[in-house]
Amino acid sequence: MDPLAKPSKIEQAKAELCGLDLAPRLGDLASQGWESLDEATLTIRLKWLGIFFRPVTPGRFMVRLRLPNGVISADQLELLAEVIDRCGDQGSADITTRQNLQLRGLLLEDMAPLLQALEAGGLTSRQSGHDNPRNITGNPLAGIDPEEIVDTRPLVEVIQARLLGPAGPRNLPRKFNVAVGGAPDSFLLHNDLAFLPAEHNGQLGFTVLVGGFFSAQRNELAVPLGLWLRPEQLADFTLALLCHFERHGNRQQRNKSRLMYLIDQLGIDAYREELVEAFAEPVHPHDGSHLVSRAPRSGLGVHAQKQEGLHWVGLHVPMGRLDAASMQELAALARTYGSGELRLTEAQNALIVDVPCDRIEDLLAEPLLQRLRPDPSTLQAEAVSCTGNAYCSFALIPTKGVAQQVLEELEQRIELPEAVRMHWTGCPNACGQPYMGQIGLMGAKARKDGQMVEAAKIFLGGSMGAEPKLAELHEKGVPLSDLADVLELLLLEQFGARRREPAGF
Amino acid sequence: MRSALPQWEPAQLPACGSPDRWGWLQQLRNQPELDPEPWLLALENGSLSIAPDLLAVLAERLDPPAQLRLLRWWRQQPDPDPGLPSQVLRHRDGASAAWLLEQLAPGPVALGFALPLSALPQVVAAALLPLLGHQRQVAAWPVLLCWMRAPIATPLRRAALEGVARGLSVWPRSQLVAGLSALAGDLDPQLAAPAVDLLARLPGARRALVPLRRCGLDPRVAERLGRRLAATPAQPLLLVVHGRAGGQLPAELVALAAELECRRGAPVRLQALSAAAPAAVPAVASELLQPGQVLGLVPLLLLPGGHVRHDLPAIVRHWSAFARVQHWPFLGAWPRWQAALARELAELAMQDYKPAARPLLLHHPLEGPLAARYLTTLERRTGAQCVATPYSAEHLAELKLTLAAPDLAAPALAAPALPLALAANRLTDQLAEQVGPPLLQRPGLRQLLLAELEALP
Repeated sequence: MDPLAKPSKIEQAKAELCGLDLAPRLGDLASQGWESLDEATLTIRLKWLGIFFRPVTPGRFMVRLRLPNGVISADQLELLAEVIDRCGDQGSADITTRQNLQLRGLLLEDMAPLLQALEAGGLTSRQSGHDNPRNITGNPLAGIDPEEIVDTRPLVEVIQARLLGPAGPRNLPRKFNVAVGGAPDSFLLHNDLAFLPAEHNGQLGFTVLVGGFFSAQRNELAVPLGLWLRPEQLADFTLALLCHFERHGNRQQRNKSRLMYLIDQLGIDAYREELVEAFAEPVHPHDGSHLVSRAPRSGLGVHAQKQEGLHWVGLHVPMGRLDAASMQELAALARTYGSGELRLTEAQNALIVDVPCDRIEDLLAEPLLQRLRPDPSTLQAEAVSCTGNAYCSFALIPTKGVAQQVLEELEQRIELPEAVRMHWTGCPNACGQPYMGQIGLMGAKARKDGQMVEAAKIFLGGSMGAEPKLAELHEKGVPLSDLADVLELLLLEQFGARRREPAGF
Repeated sequence: MRSALPQWEPAQLPACGSPDRWGWLQQLRNQPELDPEPWLLALENGSLSIAPDLLAVLAERLDPPAQLRLLRWWRQQPDPDPGLPSQVLRHRDGASAAWLLEQLAPGPVALGFALPLSALPQVVAAALLPLLGHQRQVAAWPVLLCWMRAPIATPLRRAALEGVARGLSVWPRSQLVAGLSALAGDLDPQLAAPAVDLLARLPGARRALVPLRRCGLDPRVAERLGRRLAATPAQPLLLVVHGRAGGQLPAELVALAAELECRRGAPVRLQALSAAAPAAVPAVASELLQPGQVLGLVPLLLLPGGHVRHDLPAIVRHWSAFARVQHWPFLGAWPRWQAALARELAELAMQDYKPAARPLLLHHPLEGPLAARYLTTLERRTGAQCVATPYSAEHLAELKLTLAAPDLAAPALAAPALPLALAANRLTDQLAEQVGPPLLQRPGLRQLLLAELEALP
């Protein structure tokens, strides 16, 4: 890195004014209108408050929350439902691949009262976008999981509190993902910083993995840092690591600014030494072995919790997209049948928890469960999708719509014995994590009959199991009109699918 | 602006469908400087076609003159892409706003079905109307309103409504409320529902929303209205009123409070001025208020007498020690109340067949310059003559005689009279035949007061 090189426009904007300082001015900004905001405030700084200008829907903003560990209460979900209900058919909420929610269709006038309402409701959207530590994920079944190794909720909460507290980073060189594993299926190697449960001298703690990320240029799984931490050390260690990244990360080339590039630059051993010095607490060396041994469970359907007599009911949210009415109903069901708590998963689904045995049947008979099914088809169950070009100007295809349409078409044609994890993403930025899917699909263009048409690249072989592996390119560009045919063949040949009998037989 | 590097010229852009194109455009996007001139030129001379991925990158780099130039080019295309303007018009800019206004100001007549060459295509109008709202220029308000109300295709009216939404805070508030309230009653729920949603975003939204409950809305819109009102729950209210001897509360006020509580769905309590301050204010406050709630304190007092000037501040201070209090002005100062009094007096005059006579407002005597100014204002706003009326038995007996035979004793009193008393008191008890019932027993005034109180936060 050249220390004398001129900082990028983004770095200049961040250095001039921290977006958090805009919070008291939101009311004024609403009355002036977003058009009066300079480009840097509009597209960069507002993201420190979780407010996203969307070039595809100018004047209609997105708000991304923070839901540590994907936990949300019925009251909070109702509050958010009311917010998007006011946006009419422009309003929707997406469950993200970070167990989070983002709300769409909001006006700038909504922001000041929304942020107040979020605070009153125990929610925040702070630092959820741009160069910030993003929503911290954990085991979606934390505290209820019969297979749980450690309850990740309190750990995630403390890490978030530390990162958003006065000593937390305000100007990272790039976004940063942190996750805490707590079960044998906590696959988290796509995070910049992952804590996986591991033993050291018979004591349960966490081994540290660093540097995982996906991008258009490079995709990496996190690598062992060679350190083991006690649970109570996670928050301070995370803060120390992020402060180190804030000081030493690459600010000249944004496409080489994720943590892995810093690790490359320093070398893993030197990087570890610097962190140990910055952390200033005793830590233990570790070989990086951990207790995570298999791919994540879907969590869909009815499952016994570790609390006797209670169950969670996992509901499939098609492409992770919710409307206001579904959110209202979901909140009501969580309150009526469970304890009023819900969990969101990285597979963009929702779980109602603490449902007593004698309430399960009634819950399963609720009309909402015809739309958010506990038993979706094996094709739909583990489908994950990015936003697509309805809201993102980089997406090359309308990802969610295409995915839903293709999967419904395939459901008519084939039976699949086991769920196949299909990750759909609209462009090489890989927000839909195609490299993690058994089948990954990425928006592209291709020529068909002399015409340039929307298409998808197909990746195969991603694994989140004991031997994690990124999916590799299989097809360069299948026109969307041919995609169902190509996927049908793939599923028949490689995933044990069977053709359905034609109707009437 | 510095020139772009040669390799980032339009001629170098990989063709649509090329595997290199997305990456090339991302690199272009990341260039510290990008001169849009060659790109605009290439579009204008037809050597480059505008694809969404290129537009997404270029739009970030256009300054206001460049955005307007691209819009003008777009407008001249035989088959303009309706998605382009919203991506291009990012900046608030006078020239762009003026251009938009020029396109849309003629209103739906500009669609000019009979004049295809000069007409504004529907697809163009639908793309531009939201952007006109984006520009947040007050001059756009009548144009948007015109498109929104016109008997044209729903998508165009919705586009105008979206323009209203995007500039919401700059439109003239009373006209905005009137326009949206009217639209809330539209037969098309696609227009009525967003109108309700926009009203709900305005400061003091309850005042605009509550009247819609009596408007016979489409059932789906009515449900939506219910949700919006439920999200802005009413504060508990404390109505400070004149009591009768011994602190007794007049029946009209008790009935008013009960009906109001039912309509607001929130507690309403009465506190009589003549009663001692409630000893158990902390207990009452905690009974009335949920955590974080504010108590609305409404003085249902008609005159700025000693009660308003001295007793009321003491009551507010007392309650403020135990709760967050929002203190409203005394009722006699509310413009809508004064207007309602004027209507009541006018009707009274018509009933008495004395439309030329100046009606009377009989009020308790007041002292001081503030009171004199108030009475002058009230006379101006209601057209009545305020007549101080001491409540002593002797004075009331005398007044009764005078009102019964006004022409002889006092010609000025030969006019219909209204007692300035909300509930029954000595004046209305003793002069019932001459002045009629107290104000809360008059349906028009009672309904107005209920509606006003119902609409309070």
